[in-house]
Amino acid sequence: MSGAALRYAGVSVGYHGTPVLTDVELTVRTGQRLALVGPNGAGKSTLIKSVLGLVPVLGGAATVLGTTPVHARVHTGYVPQTDALDAGFPVTAAQVVMMGRYRRIGWWRPTRSADRAAVREALDRVGLADRARKNFGTLSGGQRQRVLLARAIAAEPQLLLLDEPFNGVDIVSQDAILAVLRELSAAGTALVLSTHDLAVARELADLVCLLNGRQWAAGPPDETLTADTLRRAYGAHAVEVDGGRTVLVEP
Amino acid sequence: MIEPFAVPFMARALAELTLLALICGPVSVFVFARRLSFVSDALTHTVFPGVVIGFVAGGVEGVFVGALIAGVVTAVALTLLTRGGALSDDASTAVILTAMFSLGVVLVSRRPSYTSDLTTFLFGRILTVTPRQLVETAVLAVVILGLLMIGARALLFRTFDPAGAAAAGYRIAWLDLGLNLVIALVVVAAVRAVGTILVVALLIVPAAAARMITSRLLVMAFAGTGLIMLAGYAGLWASWTASVVYDISLTSASAVVLFLALFYLLLLPLGALRLRRNRPHPAGPERGSSHELVG
Repeated sequence: MSGAALRYAGVSVGYHGTPVLTDVELTVRTGQRLALVGPNGAGKSTLIKSVLGLVPVLGGAATVLGTTPVHARVHTGYVPQTDALDAGFPVTAAQVVMMGRYRRIGWWRPTRSADRAAVREALDRVGLADRARKNFGTLSGGQRQRVLLARAIAAEPQLLLLDEPFNGVDIVSQDAILAVLRELSAAGTALVLSTHDLAVARELADLVCLLNGRQWAAGPPDETLTADTLRRAYGAHAVEVDGGRTVLVEP
Repeated sequence: MIEPFAVPFMARALAELTLLALICGPVSVFVFARRLSFVSDALTHTVFPGVVIGFVAGGVEGVFVGALIAGVVTAVALTLLTRGGALSDDASTAVILTAMFSLGVVLVSRRPSYTSDLTTFLFGRILTVTPRQLVETAVLAVVILGLLMIGARALLFRTFDPAGAAAAGYRIAWLDLGLNLVIALVVVAAVRAVGTILVVALLIVPAAAARMITSRLLVMAFAGTGLIMLAGYAGLWASWTASVVYDISLTSASAVVLFLALFYLLLLPLGALRLRRNRPHPAGPERGSSHELVG
């Protein structure tokens, strides 16, 4: 199980021909966990969207699951930021998770018991089996995030991308999400998640990619999350080193 | 007193409104969920000159074709404009729409039967629905419901989570065009019966009213259909009774829309109650998204 789920060589990505992020050199293997770290506006979400084929690759070579990002969509999963969604939208947790099965179900076919079983199982894995019939909008931020994770699980992806999965998430939900992500990668799913939480990156990731307009460092957490590289990526005034701990301070 | 719906033209009016209820209930759910009231609004402005041109060119039968062409052109134009971000310019959109509407008024004012024609196009003629019109509405209803059934899942996904739907491989632009075309077809189906102005009510009020009593989309669609049927029956009955028994002239289509609005008002307190009951309860202390974490 050592195939490359994601290979970026000298990639730059952006909108309308203008690069947002350049010099990305990454290889994520099956079952590996990559954390994209950087300040707001660093290009983390843009990089994730480029893997999904939603933002064009402007230069370099991007290979996702051995093919182009757009063709790989069948086998990639995506967990968006919860606050990008309309909490007032009348839809149940189970309906949201079922969306993960839509691609398999197609346009015509009614849902089968296998689809409903996959939905139940996915909700169960994120610990929300009892909330299946609750309205998505009535759940807490952390529970909503877990429902979106369940939706991605129900699609059974080989590569799972998560955009700030711990934003506005309570501790219970964070632990539940971390546990599920570890299980998924142990089962061979490659994970790419963006976070500005260095503690989470250090705890969860095998690989860290430090971004801010371009790639500043990539490699194991111990090598990339050093005071020196952080200071370079974030700007000198934003980092204080305190007895081996690196603290980021917003300027 | 004669039983109103034993009279053929009243029975046809009720049948037409029932057909419209079947399509407007489900379609209004998507209009509501996608917050597309402006699309229905825009369509009423642009379909009007289409109806007038169709009428001038081909008489009563031309109305349908004129509305269809204008509706489809508007649906395509709105999809392209929204995609290009041009629709954020409210002023220019308003200028185009009012200009289209004025064009319709100018065209219709050149006719000798100006006032009666204008009333017909704006408010429809529910009481003069012909059997042929009923068949045309029925065909459109089958087409619209068929399209909705095929596209329902994709539209639901796209409405709830556009980025997620795109990541799953759905073509957002095509889905948007599809839904705009469906709304245009509804306007075309309804325009002769209820006119270009009142059709907006059929596309917006049912789901908004149904939302007060349910948060299930499917239930909303059925409840919306039920509400239009009820309003159709009550409106037609009221306008019949008013004119036959009390000799007061009450336009049927307007009466239908008034009943629909009344149902909305009656359900409003229920909606407020539901909202209070369904507030989200955070499971624990929420963590902020500020940037001060430790490594």
